[in-house]
Amino acid sequence: MSDTISRRNFLKLTGLGAAGAALTGCGKAARYVTRRPYYDMPEYGALGESTYFATTCGECPAGCGLIMRTFEGRAIKAEGNPQHPVNMGKLCSRGLVGVQGLYNPDRIKGPGRRAQRGHDQVTALDWNAALDVVKQALGGGQKVAFFLGLSPDHIADLTAELAQAIGAPAPVRYGALGMFDGRAGLAEACRQVFGEARLPYFDLAGADLVISFGANFLETWLSPVAYTRGYSQFRRSAATGKRRGYFISLEARRSLTSGVADEWYPVAPGSEGLAALALGRLLAERGWALPLDASAVDVDAAAQAAGMTRAQLEHLADLASQAAHPLFIPGGNALAHAGGLAAARSILALNLAAGALGQPGGLYLSPAAADSSSLRDVQALVDRMRTGQVETLFIHGVNPVFELPPALGFTEALSNVKQVISFASFPDETALQSDYLLPDHTPLESWGYQRTLAGADRPVYSAQQPVVVPLYDTRSSADVLLSAGLLPYSDEVDFIQKKIAPLITQGGNVQATEIATFWARFLQSGGWWPVQAALAAPSAPAGLEAAAPQAAAAPEGQFHLVTYPTQMGDGRGANRPWLQETPNPSTTVVWNTWVEINPATADALGLKNDDIVKVKSSAGEVEAAVYRFPAIRPDTVAIPFGQGHTALGRWAEGRGANPALLLAPALNEAGDLAFGDTLVTLTPTGRRRPLAKLESTAGVYGEH
Amino acid sequence: MAAEVKPIANTLHTPSEEHEELREQLMFDPRPREELNRMVLDSMTHTTPRYWTAVGVLTVLVLTLLLGMWGYLIFTGIGISGERRPNYWGIFIVTFVFWIGISHAGTFVSAILRVFKAEFRRPFTRAAELMTTFGLAAGALWPLIHLGRVWVFYWMIPYPNARWLWPNFRSPLVWDLLAITTYLLSSTIYLFLPLLPDLAMARDRTTGWRHAIYRALALGWRGTEAEWARLRKAISIFAFAIIPVMFSVHTIVSWDFAMGMVGGWNSTIFGPYFIIGAILSGVSAVITILVVLRATLKNMTYFIRPEHIDALGKLVLVFSMAWAYFFFNDYLVQWYGGHDVVRALLSFHASGPDAWIWYCMLLFNIVIPWLTLWNKKLRRTPWVMLVVTLLINVGMYFERYTIIPLTLGHQRMPFDWGEYSPRFPEISLALGSLCLFMLLYLLASRLIPMVPVWEVREGQEAHLVRKVGKTVVPTVSELD
Amino acid sequence: MAEQIKEQVNERWGMVIDMNLCTGCNACVTACAMENNIPWVGEDDAGYGRGIYWMRIQRYWEGEYPETTPSYQPVMCQQCGHAPCEPVCPVFATVHSEEEQINLQVYNRCIGTRYCANNCPYFARSFNWFDYSYQIPEPLNYYLNPNVTVRRRGVMEKCTFCVQRIHAGQEQAKAQGRAVRDGEVVPACAQACPADAIIFGDLSDPNSRVSQAARSQRSYTLLEALGTEPKVIYLKGEGTYGG
Repeated sequence: MSDTISRRNFLKLTGLGAAGAALTGCGKAARYVTRRPYYDMPEYGALGESTYFATTCGECPAGCGLIMRTFEGRAIKAEGNPQHPVNMGKLCSRGLVGVQGLYNPDRIKGPGRRAQRGHDQVTALDWNAALDVVKQALGGGQKVAFFLGLSPDHIADLTAELAQAIGAPAPVRYGALGMFDGRAGLAEACRQVFGEARLPYFDLAGADLVISFGANFLETWLSPVAYTRGYSQFRRSAATGKRRGYFISLEARRSLTSGVADEWYPVAPGSEGLAALALGRLLAERGWALPLDASAVDVDAAAQAAGMTRAQLEHLADLASQAAHPLFIPGGNALAHAGGLAAARSILALNLAAGALGQPGGLYLSPAAADSSSLRDVQALVDRMRTGQVETLFIHGVNPVFELPPALGFTEALSNVKQVISFASFPDETALQSDYLLPDHTPLESWGYQRTLAGADRPVYSAQQPVVVPLYDTRSSADVLLSAGLLPYSDEVDFIQKKIAPLITQGGNVQATEIATFWARFLQSGGWWPVQAALAAPSAPAGLEAAAPQAAAAPEGQFHLVTYPTQMGDGRGANRPWLQETPNPSTTVVWNTWVEINPATADALGLKNDDIVKVKSSAGEVEAAVYRFPAIRPDTVAIPFGQGHTALGRWAEGRGANPALLLAPALNEAGDLAFGDTLVTLTPTGRRRPLAKLESTAGVYGEH
Repeated sequence: MAAEVKPIANTLHTPSEEHEELREQLMFDPRPREELNRMVLDSMTHTTPRYWTAVGVLTVLVLTLLLGMWGYLIFTGIGISGERRPNYWGIFIVTFVFWIGISHAGTFVSAILRVFKAEFRRPFTRAAELMTTFGLAAGALWPLIHLGRVWVFYWMIPYPNARWLWPNFRSPLVWDLLAITTYLLSSTIYLFLPLLPDLAMARDRTTGWRHAIYRALALGWRGTEAEWARLRKAISIFAFAIIPVMFSVHTIVSWDFAMGMVGGWNSTIFGPYFIIGAILSGVSAVITILVVLRATLKNMTYFIRPEHIDALGKLVLVFSMAWAYFFFNDYLVQWYGGHDVVRALLSFHASGPDAWIWYCMLLFNIVIPWLTLWNKKLRRTPWVMLVVTLLINVGMYFERYTIIPLTLGHQRMPFDWGEYSPRFPEISLALGSLCLFMLLYLLASRLIPMVPVWEVREGQEAHLVRKVGKTVVPTVSELD
Repeated sequence: MAEQIKEQVNERWGMVIDMNLCTGCNACVTACAMENNIPWVGEDDAGYGRGIYWMRIQRYWEGEYPETTPSYQPVMCQQCGHAPCEPVCPVFATVHSEEEQINLQVYNRCIGTRYCANNCPYFARSFNWFDYSYQIPEPLNYYLNPNVTVRRRGVMEKCTFCVQRIHAGQEQAKAQGRAVRDGEVVPACAQACPADAIIFGDLSDPNSRVSQAARSQRSYTLLEALGTEPKVIYLKGEGTYGG
């Protein structure tokens, strides 16, 4: 063996052999790794050695590259793919716990038909019968609707083609993570500022000052692992001689991301855009060429509305004007308001004025168009469903009954849909309301690809391949949809190969002359990407409209509600016991939902830790235990998202509360849910339920 | 030898109060030898329905609270206790230290008083020695109960094995095991040696199964000169030898803590502090037992008199003062040391949620004894002494509770501070071990003579009354 | 050949955690759990203080609102050179390894006195109060790492610096007739850490990345005054937070 190939790489190569051997001209069945009897084990298996497969993490849409360690046909440990441009060998908690999804005992184990929606009773179906159902349903033409999650991309691409082929409306793609990121608003703001509706990529690594407007980029925002890597470079000083990056965060509560900020300003929810505009005016006074006219902004009034002082804004302006590479990041919390689009525009304009477009330490536009539909599209779908224009609804990769605010009326509208076909791998809330369960493989058993959107300095097609034999009688949704014979692809792999075929000629990390070899290498390296950073520099825009969003203070007795995703992601993490057991970084709470309340507010309401409080908004109410959180505005409360499942298996069900119940279906200009404008009241219930948390409860902060 | 000493007590006729007191204290109202024997035998064979009820109830309690719960613990896991991070030790070890402490006084009262020829010891040495043995029996269970995997407890024992694995002789727990085993063995022998003549006495006066038992246990004792000489020599050797063993045992128990790296534990004074605490609780327990025996066992009012309780009460007062001194010394030095963790710990003890335990400890161990035991009248009132000595033992239990879980919960990393509260299984086991102690004592009280008859007689016969001027003083003839 | 391969017996594995980079995200905690077959204990037991964490992020709050600043301190077994846990174990279940210079826990020797956990000033040890591992339902136990013992109830466990990975690295190096390369052996936490705040390597090699980082002026160890000689070294944060 050559000295340059490490043993692990060799194993990866040989491991690929099992998958790759099948690709040089065998049929469909050979595309899966087959479980062989022990006497016929490949050498590495017989020796008790691990096999490593490169694939793509399916736990969130970011598309991090995985190297999956498998042992005797079992997936053991997820490790990051060191070559992958998104995560460079790193992983977050969600990706690490992926195997607990694969081996979850509550998975849907085969196709079935639900006798009655909302009831557990499911009669098993034969896959042939199931395929017939799908085939018939697809004949419905424009009365067919597709509702897809944010990953994987190949299903979205395939469904889009299929919808076009049968004359159905384009699939709706949505997910709670997209909602919390404010993706639609971000893309729309980019369109208005830079002329292209794409998501921005911020080069944290090269920046020396970052001012974040409610972006929790170290937790879930767009591509958290990539941004944490960038943050890591941003904070280093010695290597490049640049000074250690300075990080300022404007956010109503001190999230994990704000927690590591050098300066944190608890601005009122909804006032981020105003603060950005005021900052823009101060910077314009310092000689920045702002593409919008901010002179009308009253800095003092803006500062007051945001809960800051003019001196603080001046201080930020000083820092920004002195910085070589300042970055201004518009996060979901800043965007999720009625004036969110204007806020995003103002913040992006600051980047533009800083002059760092398409340069290290600046802002890039990610290559592909934003994949996420806005909530407005979802609302349109709900309307069509409600009015009976949808006969068959296909649902894949999303759990709308849980993730969407119930006030949107999705669940009610479902009852007007004749036939709901769910591809869910887990018995989630939406699967419970579906007629047919045609379970897809879990990501670790599937083929696929994910175009990573906003987490890398180059366009990436991240490859997904099965690392283990499918555990149950599940079937790839792509194959199920293709089985109707409406598209010119023989099966899922054929479809993916045809999709990636254009990449052969584009150079990049993987090169080959024909598709079979390209495919093998594509899978082996975990995807395709250019060798060098290549992202488009946004073009400078024409003059922008400066709309100062008005931040309304919370009326007396009411509180702003901040809802934020945790390591549970969009809620699908709740059935992974180790995600439940991993402490929330800020509160160290495990396994439940809490309400963060400033201790001063809690004192005024007579609330102690673990008191159950009823949180009520115009849309609904939830109950959860109080966590006295010392770093949140006194006029704001926060509830994490992801718990409160009524289905999804033994570890998720009946645990905590779902703050989506509190969100009114108010959309902003960009079509994003303005969940940041939610106002709630708090009512002590007089009951207590101790939160499970890792931190000491014994008198550390003066409480016994 | 003993038989040759002439009883002179009858010559004492002075009816003055002072003399009456002397007479009582030294039991100068001897009865014929046979009557004494009969009284003791009577107390052993006399059982009432109340006794059997007590035995029955205690047996049931031991079977359920102790053995049943222990079985449940073994089959489910230590998790059924209230222990949790960072309080890895709780009631299990508290109760262990408590029983080992109790077991100290038996030896102390018997051996030390014997060595120093304190005459008032004679009637209750046996009761105290029994307490040692049974206290150890109840205490030695705890290191086993608290093990996560009790089925491999023997890995702590240095025995030759194929893998050449030895216990870690640097670990205080191994010292503990060795010390407790040594103490259990030696205190059992020390209990047994003075029992021989009494067993022989019982053998000669009983029939049936009792006779068979006593015949076996008496080892063929005939009461010859040579046997007496050897017995005296053996008792004398053991009385001297067991004293350092006793001191070492509780010092080593204290090293379980003092050798640790836990703030508030690594105190150089823990050895003597623990010994004083052990003796305080032990002597108190002796008084408790004597009061109970006197009230429940037949004929005991003759052997156990308020004067004995009075004398032991003085001892308790002295040890309460000594304990207060050591407590203060330990506290002061720890506080003066000024380590943040220890300062925080001390204020936590005195002001945390469980501060009442700390205050009760001071109240029961210092305030109550000091307020009551200076008074002879109170010292001679059995029920007062019962209450006071029980409270002292509660106080000493609280002391161990303060030292173990309340200290563990407040260490150097505030993120990991924790509170401990015992759960039912632990409380059940602790009560069960108390029941076991009482059951063993109850059974023993009907099986072996609770009073060393020969020692009492020896004392009575050895005492002389001399007139020095006008004062009548008792003297003791040289026995050895 | 045999002469050429020098037995590596003088490695001194160590870790540097840069508080400047640590974001407190807990990915290391999860990575550790997945690598080392750490069972979850469920809400009740976790809330009661029975959670099994080989490493945990201590989160302290400093300052008063609005200057409330969290400081995140990842704490795992510090692999003390002079470990308080070692002398107190009666059965040598927690021992110092000559070869790797780390503290090892011999699960099948442990009898569960919990003395070591009391004596650990870092609270790095977790006890199996119940049979948590054996309660993992099929097929969820498929992912258990075959290189790591699954612990039963009644035994103590703690961070091993992923000793199975150290051994794998050593064996691989040995098979190839060379010394272990710097960075070749990575424990699960360092491997996952998205901020790359954890550096692992051989402290006996002065040129290793970890040795160089350990020589930083910002370095400190936890509870240094106790003289435990930890092999986990922290680099103080340069900002207003951490350290």
